[in-house]
Amino acid sequence: MDLTIAILVTVVGASTPILIAALGELVVERSGVLNLGVEGMMLLGAIAGFVVQFHTGNHYLALICGAAAGMAASLIFGFLTLSLSANQTATGLALTIFGTGFSALAGASYSARPVTLMSPIFPELAAHPVLRVIFGYSFPAYFAIFMVFAIWFFLKRTRAGLILRAVGENDLSAHSIGYSVVKVRYFAVMFGGAMAGIAGACFPLTLTPQWAEGMTAGRGWIAVALVVFASWRPFRLLGGAYLFGLVMTMELYAKAGGGPLSAIPSELWAALPYIATIVVLVLISLRRDASTNAPACLGKPFMPSN
Amino acid sequence: MTLSRRGFIKVGGAAMTLPLLGGTAFGQAEKLKIGFIYVGSINDNGYNYAHNQGRLYVEENLGDAVETVFVENVPEGPDCERVVRELAQQGCKLIFATSFGFGDSVIKVAPEFPDVAFEHATGYMKADNVGLYNARFYEGRAVCGVIAGHMSQTAKAGYIGSFPIPEVVMGINSFVLAARQVNPEFTITPVYISTWNDPAKEADAARAMIDQGIDIIAQHTDGPAALQVAADRGIVGGFGQGADMSAFAPDTQLTAIIDHWGPHYLASAKAVLEGTWAPGDTWEGLKEDVVQMGPYHSKVPADVVTAAEAMRTGQIDGSVHIFTGPINDHTGTERVAAGVTMTDAELLSMDWYVEGVIPPA
Amino acid sequence: MMRYRLEKRPEPSKLMLYGTPVAAVVLTMILGCLLFSAIGYNGLRAVQEIFLTPLTNPYKWQDLGIKAAPLIIIGTGLSVAYRANVWNIGAEGQYIIGALAATGVALMTWGMSGWWILPVMAIAGMAAGMAYASIPAFLKTRLNVNEILTSLMLTYASVQLIYYLIRGPWKDPMGIGFPQSRLFSEAARLPNIIPGTIVHLGVPIAVIVALIAWFVMSKTVFGYRMRVVGAAPHAARYGGFSETRTIWLAMLVSGGLAGLAGMLEVAGPFQRMVPGFPTNYGFTAIIVAFLGRLNPLGVIVAGVVLAITFVGGQVAQTTIGLPDEATGIFQAMMLFLLLAGDILVRYRIRRVSPEASVGAA
Repeated sequence: MDLTIAILVTVVGASTPILIAALGELVVERSGVLNLGVEGMMLLGAIAGFVVQFHTGNHYLALICGAAAGMAASLIFGFLTLSLSANQTATGLALTIFGTGFSALAGASYSARPVTLMSPIFPELAAHPVLRVIFGYSFPAYFAIFMVFAIWFFLKRTRAGLILRAVGENDLSAHSIGYSVVKVRYFAVMFGGAMAGIAGACFPLTLTPQWAEGMTAGRGWIAVALVVFASWRPFRLLGGAYLFGLVMTMELYAKAGGGPLSAIPSELWAALPYIATIVVLVLISLRRDASTNAPACLGKPFMPSN
Repeated sequence: MTLSRRGFIKVGGAAMTLPLLGGTAFGQAEKLKIGFIYVGSINDNGYNYAHNQGRLYVEENLGDAVETVFVENVPEGPDCERVVRELAQQGCKLIFATSFGFGDSVIKVAPEFPDVAFEHATGYMKADNVGLYNARFYEGRAVCGVIAGHMSQTAKAGYIGSFPIPEVVMGINSFVLAARQVNPEFTITPVYISTWNDPAKEADAARAMIDQGIDIIAQHTDGPAALQVAADRGIVGGFGQGADMSAFAPDTQLTAIIDHWGPHYLASAKAVLEGTWAPGDTWEGLKEDVVQMGPYHSKVPADVVTAAEAMRTGQIDGSVHIFTGPINDHTGTERVAAGVTMTDAELLSMDWYVEGVIPPA
Repeated sequence: MMRYRLEKRPEPSKLMLYGTPVAAVVLTMILGCLLFSAIGYNGLRAVQEIFLTPLTNPYKWQDLGIKAAPLIIIGTGLSVAYRANVWNIGAEGQYIIGALAATGVALMTWGMSGWWILPVMAIAGMAAGMAYASIPAFLKTRLNVNEILTSLMLTYASVQLIYYLIRGPWKDPMGIGFPQSRLFSEAARLPNIIPGTIVHLGVPIAVIVALIAWFVMSKTVFGYRMRVVGAAPHAARYGGFSETRTIWLAMLVSGGLAGLAGMLEVAGPFQRMVPGFPTNYGFTAIIVAFLGRLNPLGVIVAGVVLAITFVGGQVAQTTIGLPDEATGIFQAMMLFLLLAGDILVRYRIRRVSPEASVGAA
């Protein structure tokens, strides 16, 4: 029991940044844009968050600055792909290369500096042996869950959300009935950047209080996979993020504790989220249910033939 | 055909010296240029950081007599081969390739530059102008093991490794052998995370082990992530790896194993300057000051410090070798008979765990 | 007040098509110079070392060839696929699987000799790359699953396969426990084609591959069909061109070439499989394909340009202490600028006076 709770607490910690980044990417993709620069934006958020926390000691300010860094980077992507109709795949990859390089350059002098982790929001309950599984986390874990509801509500129940989905499903008809496709997509891309930045900042602020080059170690790509895995739906994303987190964490618990699971090669554990994503993609398409498929305009530049 | 290659070198050399002219004012004696190749970033707080400290140590001690250059984040394979060649061609007369994976490249390039001295860390392939060097980190592990054996309340330690290579296996075994001399019930669980640099995964591995009852943690990955989790969870303690990491976990680091390559690099540089360099095969440790112990934390009781110091000084004066039999493997079978000490060759290819290690699948 | 607006060109501009990549490279040099000067490096020297030294120093030419070869081969395949609007971004995975298949052949024939071993390795590499690329092709044509996502996911899975194989079944018995395969026999290594240099057979193969692809794409019905399907899928359907067949062809060509590049790389510079084998050639080749304007001839030039930044980046580390990250920043800037310039191919900037724009509205 104690161990189960301990595992769950670790799972939530490991899942939270992936969930936050994936939520941002979900909104971006729902608007019809594929931004493969998540990993790069996360690293920029991580270094910005680290630097601000190191100099000010304020975790919340650090999260905000992480978000700002991610958003700034996403504007490069937005300008190229939306204003200049550049290829989204290539631009996203360039953004990841840029974020990896720039964060490493900016962080070079911060490597030997420790910061402090964010404290749990409910310190008394966080010490409780059972209740900590619900109340034992710092702000980002709750923020992530709140955002699942908020994004679900936004997409399903608000006019703006409807417009965003319309833009992602059929940009030309959205354009023809008078919506600004480019403007909507700009907002979505900036939101995605801010979320990726926060997700990156979670690494030094909630997981391991230090700066290390490339410290997100591919989680940005897992977030991209997760959006697909969740077939672009916020609540499936929530479940999927915890499932991915569980896979990543169970490997370590199994190895540390022995038992049958520890016999699975670590390479298989590491490949599992990606293989699972492909399997889910296949399962979705087998259902032939149009509404569960990818946004129709995903990855295609908006080209009104004016 | 060799003619064309000489032509290549000549033209290349001329092109390369041009930009360097500004740096070396005329009339100065020729400096010894030394190249360092690192597999990771010099800011990793661990393995590569330590090698770079060694480089700075040489500069400090030899001042104007040397000039050093380094290339970081060099992938093994053709990229490394190019960097080795680049450094040799730029006039480096002594080149340190500081990672195991660089071995093939060094062996390939070295014959092209017979007047350059190459040294390859932790490798096994020698040549006429390629020497090998390594450090006996296991000696430091044994000191840590003594402290762990005394201080652990659960008699369980965790050990985070990257890959199960002999260097890591040897370190785990040394740690547990020393700890079991103090407490025969002591066990250690290794967890391999298949990466050198994923601090979040290291931290989660530490959490996984602490949640399952270990109260001492050691690691063979770069960086302080595991130590920081140990601090956060308030377990008995952990050990710095590669460098003094007390800044990251001031209340938790019991001591640290410090890679102190400086003296070795200095000796090699002096040998090249004096023209006495010969390809060596050195494996230095506490005695030669290439492995150092960090300061003992104030919460380590005095008698434990005494015991740890005894282990340290014993290894320095040669009276203690941690891999002296009887040693059983993890199944209980005797592998080393009483009174017999394992040879260096046996240690460097160690692929079995001693008693007390709960072996990974 | 002057205003500018974009006006669609009746036809893509040839000048801009070939002018923008050149402008992107030049602008990258200027902006890079400013950026690195601003943060305290010698920006001018940085640009000089990264972009010019590899060209002016003939000794570096062989490095450029070796570094560019896999980029050109993969980039050629990708340019064919992208022309057909098939977004295979998993070339890295196909490259890895190709290399693993070739490694498998090399290990099975270990100790044997014979001219047939290398061709078999090449066929195995290509077939494996094709097979791996056929997964996204199948899913795309049968189930309409986005190939960008599936090919990307497969890349990450393939990296784990390397780790598994070299840690387990393929581990070198002589490698003192390190996770790597054994060194290939002589017959499984690519021969050098210019004695005294490191230029291997892969370099001319890269150029030949690109030339053949250029001929096929611009001079044959097949190439015409691929381009039509890419440019106007609806029109193509009416014209009787099968989109399914095009997707399959695009995937198999790009996957097969990536697999071939993997074989050449493992049999050439590496000569064994190591954990550091994946060095993102498959991703860098995406930049190469775009910088080369999805034209195989352009890909040759773009491959060399990218190789220059890699080789020069390492030169700059040793000569002016520029950090390793600079290379990535330069490459990203170059791609950003190129993509930004893309719009000038299809649109022209018109300066319009306020009255005119009012009139137009």
